[in-house]
Amino acid sequence: MNRSDLFDAIKKYDFSFFGISTAIFLIGILNLYSATHATTESSIYTTQLMWYLFSLVVGFIVSLIQPKNFFRYAYFAYLTCVVLLALVLVVGQKGMGAQRWILLGPFRLQPSELTKIGAVLALSRWFSLHEPDKEMNLKDLILPFIIAFIPTLLIVVEPDLGTGLLVILIFLVMAFYRRLNLKTITVIVIFGIISGGLMYQFGLKDYQKKRVMTFIDPSADAKGSGYNAIQSKIAIGSGQFLGKGFKKSTQASLNYLPENHTDFAFSVFNEEHGFIGALFLISLYVILFWRYLWLSQSVSKIFDSIAAVGLMAIFFWHTFVNMGMVMGLMPVVGLPLPFVSYGGSALLTFGICNGIATSMSNSRNLF
Amino acid sequence: MFNEEELVRIHKTRADLTGNIVLVCFLLILSRLWYLQIYKGKTFYIYSLENRLRKDNIQAPRGMIFSRDNQILVQNIPRFDAIITPQYLKNKKETIAKLSSILDMTSDQILKTLQKNQGQASYIPVVIKKNITDKELAIIETENSKMPGVSVTTFISREYAEKEIGSHLLGYISEISPSQLPKYRKRDNINYKLGDFIGQAGIEEQHDLTLRGDDGYEFVEVDARGRLKKHFRNENLFGEIENKIARPGNNMRLTIDRDLQESGYKSLEGKVGSAVALDVNTGEILAMVSRPAFDPSQFSRGLTPEYWSSLINDDKNPLRDRTIQEHYSPGSVFKTITAIAALEEGIVDENTEVICNGSFRLGRRVFHCWKKNGHGKVNLSKSISESCDVYYYKIGTQIDIDVLAKYASSLGLGKKSGVALPRETTGLIPTKDWKKKRNGQEWHKGETLSCVIGQSFVLTTPIQLAQAYATIANGGKLLRPYLVKEVFSSTGELIDKGEIVEEDHIKFKPRTMELVKKGLRDVVNSPSGTAWWHKGRGIKMAGKTGTSQVMSFSADKIYQKCEEKEYKHRHHGVFAAYAPYDDPKIAVAIVVEHGCHGSSAAAPVAESIITTYMKKYYPDIYEKNIQQEKNIRIVIPKKPIVEEEDTPVLPVDLEDKPEGE
Repeated sequence: MNRSDLFDAIKKYDFSFFGISTAIFLIGILNLYSATHATTESSIYTTQLMWYLFSLVVGFIVSLIQPKNFFRYAYFAYLTCVVLLALVLVVGQKGMGAQRWILLGPFRLQPSELTKIGAVLALSRWFSLHEPDKEMNLKDLILPFIIAFIPTLLIVVEPDLGTGLLVILIFLVMAFYRRLNLKTITVIVIFGIISGGLMYQFGLKDYQKKRVMTFIDPSADAKGSGYNAIQSKIAIGSGQFLGKGFKKSTQASLNYLPENHTDFAFSVFNEEHGFIGALFLISLYVILFWRYLWLSQSVSKIFDSIAAVGLMAIFFWHTFVNMGMVMGLMPVVGLPLPFVSYGGSALLTFGICNGIATSMSNSRNLF
Repeated sequence: MFNEEELVRIHKTRADLTGNIVLVCFLLILSRLWYLQIYKGKTFYIYSLENRLRKDNIQAPRGMIFSRDNQILVQNIPRFDAIITPQYLKNKKETIAKLSSILDMTSDQILKTLQKNQGQASYIPVVIKKNITDKELAIIETENSKMPGVSVTTFISREYAEKEIGSHLLGYISEISPSQLPKYRKRDNINYKLGDFIGQAGIEEQHDLTLRGDDGYEFVEVDARGRLKKHFRNENLFGEIENKIARPGNNMRLTIDRDLQESGYKSLEGKVGSAVALDVNTGEILAMVSRPAFDPSQFSRGLTPEYWSSLINDDKNPLRDRTIQEHYSPGSVFKTITAIAALEEGIVDENTEVICNGSFRLGRRVFHCWKKNGHGKVNLSKSISESCDVYYYKIGTQIDIDVLAKYASSLGLGKKSGVALPRETTGLIPTKDWKKKRNGQEWHKGETLSCVIGQSFVLTTPIQLAQAYATIANGGKLLRPYLVKEVFSSTGELIDKGEIVEEDHIKFKPRTMELVKKGLRDVVNSPSGTAWWHKGRGIKMAGKTGTSQVMSFSADKIYQKCEEKEYKHRHHGVFAAYAPYDDPKIAVAIVVEHGCHGSSAAAPVAESIITTYMKKYYPDIYEKNIQQEKNIRIVIPKKPIVEEEDTPVLPVDLEDKPEGE
């Protein structure tokens, strides 16, 4: 490769996905610093930074892969994830009462994170190969639903209800994009309401039920998540229009918000930067989602297009559920806010998503 | 093949629709933010600055425990702790200095305690001194306003009325340990947290979920200095908050009789050992004592390091419940079981007579009788009452070890009694299979000879012995021992009742029971019986002495006086009994470690417990028996006729003997 080739490659390289994400991450790490600087965990922002840099490296490597390989290895990646999930249940490490990790030497592998991507790739391949020119009805959905349901089941029994349901939610977005007919959409909505009710009745662990109950009625809570919800609301509300200012959070620094650097990071951000800050941050997220949707219409392969929507769905559901949760619109299910919540595995997942998107974007002009 | 680009294009409307839905979702988020931050913002802002919402836990009182005679065994007494809430601590140095003078602690100690808890949230109070006196309480309460951050909390202390009496049986509670936390959360499906008290031994552990209540909580609003406010300032904002009332635990009435328990405890004074008393017709445990003991109250108030180290460094292990967690060779107490097996199998009958001349030879080995000069002519009843070893060696040559094990098992030996207490040990009744599995070797005939007299591999716990003798006393009903008579809710409703559980019912031949019971009766009531000296008055006791050899001795030492041996080499004294022999009500088993003799060390404990029982529950029978004994006018000898009863002797190989023998 000579000098002009390299220059050419850089010119063609789509930096937008990593760029927008890094902007969000910078806000996130400042927020993380602010939320934890007064506690014993004041050094975790360096850990977060390391993880982000690592995720950038991994994402960059992924972006160099030819998009046709994502198609080729989609099922393989998916099956690997399913095997790892099954393995977690057998030999997994326990964290916070749930079995989510496999120890690989010094690394803690959380297969449920990678599964989100594996499921998106497998579903994209299936959707792109089965009459992609026609609208789909309920019968056409049976097989892709099974593809999504197997990992969901394995994740839910870990138990990690939030991530498990996420896979189904991503599946629904992808199916919607792959053109479901109206009748099918109606059936799914009705089915969703009924199965949600049944699952609440029989399938949920006590703490999960309580989270849902807490959402409906915060006073019915026995374990403090209602307390979290109320404190989170106080934090967000007290930020008002302009916020209290950087490092001025009273709710977070007094440890009123027990998970203020993970699930509740957004409420600390709101307390310090107010409505205007939140508007800015949300705008960044919307730009990122918009870029993914733009990608889905710019690529020339239907597989790439569906995958782009699937990857967008991963980001979208994380963001929407987390924000809804901290402001009391949704039950507390413990999904991180992309690039803002503390947590290495999630950063890595999002980095890989961006890598795949970038690779697809770079290949647009090759033909 | 499809035209790929065309395919992408037909999905454009859906992509636009997806984008619009995403936008709508975030408009929803923004409108919620608008509601919280702009519309309600001022209210929340004031609230976050001036007020604090605090969630206080309300400890549920643990259930009380009563004895069968309705005496309080365990209760809850409010005590007070001095605490500091770091969040509200002002003028740190002065406040701590002031507090240290009140509590009789140094400022350094208080600072250290605070430092230890630095990691946790600053609104969580730190306990500075537990169980403060009334005087300290009064001073803190009055000086409270001058020491911001210092306050007092009530603490419900678990107190055991009789201190050491019943410590193993009742157990104790203490704070859940970090290693127990995840395990017990899963097991009980209760969200335990550090600092929660749970039962850690005995009934407190076994029935923890019955005794523990359900903790409650209340939300309180405190001002910037941590002082409670009576009412919420923002009724409308926090109207959704509700408090949870603590539900007290259930109360329990045990089958234990307080006086019998005390009688057993006192008569084991200064000894290392244990006693179990059972109701032979129900399986109710009337007394269950293990010594040395400990004071369970100390655990719930926060154990001092000195007391803890005194407990765990004591080589007599006071924390161990010797009634169920320790097993011993039963010694001659086991002969009763061998006798039953031999009679039932027809190996011996009432006419069988064996001449005992002090030893028995099998192959190259010589098995000794404890009585060096022999017992002379011995029949079955005499073999029990005078505990002749040679009679049983004879049986040992004819009985199959697996057959013996079958009878032992049907009397409850070699398996858990099933009493609802944690960490019961199984004991051991050997079989051929067991030995093969253990070290791959075949069973030797000579080993049967050691087993028939309750030595060698045979191991039993005191509760198993009591259960076995209760089964003999009631004619074959193997009853599971139980401890909980009734469970009441805190409002007095009966929730649960202990039930008689018949594990097994063996129909022994009437003649078997007659002969064995006569032998057991003569042990205590015939002047040549091994426990004659401890027959007591008015109790009509029947029983069997036993001595459990701790280690084997060389030939020249086998007849050495036990008391002259080193303490740890002395035999264990064992005694199992029931009473009255003509209508059995109570069975007891006693083991006194290194007590040398079953008769002198263990039998007095049984005598004491049974006498207390008869006097309290059957005063008429007791009086009648006394009168009868007066009429018979037996002259009680001044010295025991049987001086050195029952010392077991392990077999000695002929080659080991000194030359010339």
